[in-house]
Parts: sequence; structure tokens; C-alpha cells
Amino acid sequence: MSTAMNFGTKSFQPRPPDKGSFPLDHFGECKSFKEKFMKCLRDNNFENALCRNESKEYLECRMERQLMAQEPLEKLGFRDLIDGKPEAKDKC
Amino acid sequence: MGGHWLARWRHIVLCGWRWSQAGFLTRAGERVEPFLRPWWSGTGGAERGLRRLGTSGRPSLSRDLTLQPPRRPKSTNPFTRAQEENWRRRNKTVLTYVAAAAVGMLGASYAAVPLYRLYCQTTGLGGSAVAGHTSDQIESMVPIKDRIIKVTFNADVHASLQWNFRPQQTEVYVVPGETALAFYKAKNPTDKPVIGISTYNVVPFEAGQYFNKIQCFCFEEQRLNPQEEVDMPVFFYIDPEFAEDPRMVNVDLITLSYTFFEAKEGHKLPVPGYN
Repeated sequence: MSTAMNFGTKSFQPRPPDKGSFPLDHFGECKSFKEKFMKCLRDNNFENALCRNESKEYLECRMERQLMAQEPLEKLGFRDLIDGKPEAKDKC
Repeated sequence: MGGHWLARWRHIVLCGWRWSQAGFLTRAGERVEPFLRPWWSGTGGAERGLRRLGTSGRPSLSRDLTLQPPRRPKSTNPFTRAQEENWRRRNKTVLTYVAAAAVGMLGASYAAVPLYRLYCQTTGLGGSAVAGHTSDQIESMVPIKDRIIKVTFNADVHASLQWNFRPQQTEVYVVPGETALAFYKAKNPTDKPVIGISTYNVVPFEAGQYFNKIQCFCFEEQRLNPQEEVDMPVFFYIDPEFAEDPRMVNVDLITLSYTFFEAKEGHKLPVPGYN
């Protein structure tokens, strides 16, 4: 929303999120997962690619506690992590 | 009627070389009229003479106006008059068609608004410039690892809302095609529960169409109890087509900015999407 009279310029059109809004975590049930994720980010210089496991765990926590609609992890873009886990287990 | 015809024939013969000039005839009639008057006895004769000489284009006598058609052909030659009337008729039809087309265009432009809305609803684009992103796309998208984009976070609060709202990380480095998680924190320091609602903005403007949020906390009312502090996550990704857009070649920084407003009774924040 700009107060200037620029009718010709395009204005930003916010789009609704694909899966709607996260319900608020009033009781802090997933706070520990969040702290792990934030720590990982800080350690890795805020590179998201290295902390995807922690973000996956946070979302799984939310889904378990009914703070998020249940979704298969592939639909959230974690397909490589699901495939990677059994492989890692095998390696171990 | 016969006399009329006779007069016309005579004036063709007499003024053959100037018969098409109606204006000339009227002027000639005016000049000749004083000489004609003594010839023909009485005023009736003079009128007849005038009528004879300047039949076409002389609406001088009121009687003539009621008798004659509204538009008289310019030529007095019966051969060309038929052609002229044909042309006139054709012109009229063409004019009618053109006018109908113009009115039709105007109507179509008004009708376009609801029709387009209907089309968008059926095809599901919902007003967005880029085709809708389904979860299938998220499933199949491949991260483009060589294009690192820095996403910075900004948090704003409307003056009337007393929350402490801030991002928990200043920036995150992501690549297109990879889903990312980020957190904001909000605290309600007052002693009353407050309901807030937020909206977001993405800078630069062109990159905003590639910025997709899977889930966030915007556009829905969020209620914070007194002295409560919550974490608000944003789960997003940047469309892999971002890397193929030539306009985005120089874009390395995207800023996501959230603003919280107080949700008041009766106030409705315009939620995006077609409704």
C-alpha cells in the first residue's frame, strides 16, 4: 500500500499460502525442535541446505501435535531426506 | 406534376452545361428573378418561375418544404440521382453496421470483467500471473544448487499494535527449488489478549512471483494472550523457474517483510484470491 499517486506502477499482490496458515503454538510444544533448528542455522552460517533435517523434524513435530495438517513429506519437498534416511541407516 | 417535369426538362435544355451546379442555379434564380417578374403575370407566376429555375436546393418556400423529401439529391440528372440514392442507401447501411459494431465493442468491454472472472475460476489461475503451484510441483522440483539466494527478513508492526514482533534470523541462504523454514517471534507485552493479522511483501517486485509460501501465519487472525510469546514459522520455497528467468539474473537478495496489524471488530483485511 503506497500513499503516492502512482497508478501506473504495478503493485505487489500478496498471494495466500498454499496450505494456509500455521496454527499458533501457544504451549510451545515444538519449541525444542525450533531451538535445534535455529542452532543449526547459526552454526552453519544460516545456510538452509545444511539444516533441512532439523526443519523436517520441526514440521513432523507440528504434524504430530495437530499444529499442522498431516502431509506426506514428499509434498513438503523432503523427498531426498526420506530416501536418504533408510540409506543412512543401512550405512550405519 | 406534369408542369414540374416540363420545367425540369426545359431547364436542362436551356442550362445544359451548368445543370449540375445547384448553387449556381439558386444564385442564377435570384439574379434572374426581378427580370422574370414582369413576364409572368402575378406573384403565382413569379413563384412558378423561381421554382422552375432553382428547383434543387431552394428551400425558400415553406410549401415546398412540406412537399419535398427531407434530403434532396445533389444532382438533378435522373440517371445519377438513382445512383446517388443507391449510394446514400448503402452509406446508411454501412453507417448502421459501424455504429452497431461500436456499440458492440463497448458492451463487450463491459462484459469482459465478469467473463474473465468466470474464466479464472474455471481454469483455476485465480488472478496470479504464473500458473498455480500445486503440491505435485513441490514433490518433483529439483533444487538448483549453483544459484544461492540470500533471503533477509523484516518485521513491522502497525503503530496501534503493541506487540514485539521480530524475525529470529536475519537472513537465510537458500537455492531455488528447495523448501526452507524461517521463524518470527511475537510477544504480547500487554495485559489484554490481542488479535493481530498480518500481511507480507516481497522485494524486489519481480521476484515476488517466484516466492511461494507453503504455509505461514499471514492473513489469518492470530490471538496472543497477555504476556504470551510464540514462534511463528514460515515455510517457503523459491520456484525453480527463477533460475531461468533472464530478468532475475542479477537478483541475489530477496527480502521478505511481514507487517502485523491489529484485527478490530468489523474490520476485514482483504484476503488475496478471488472471492
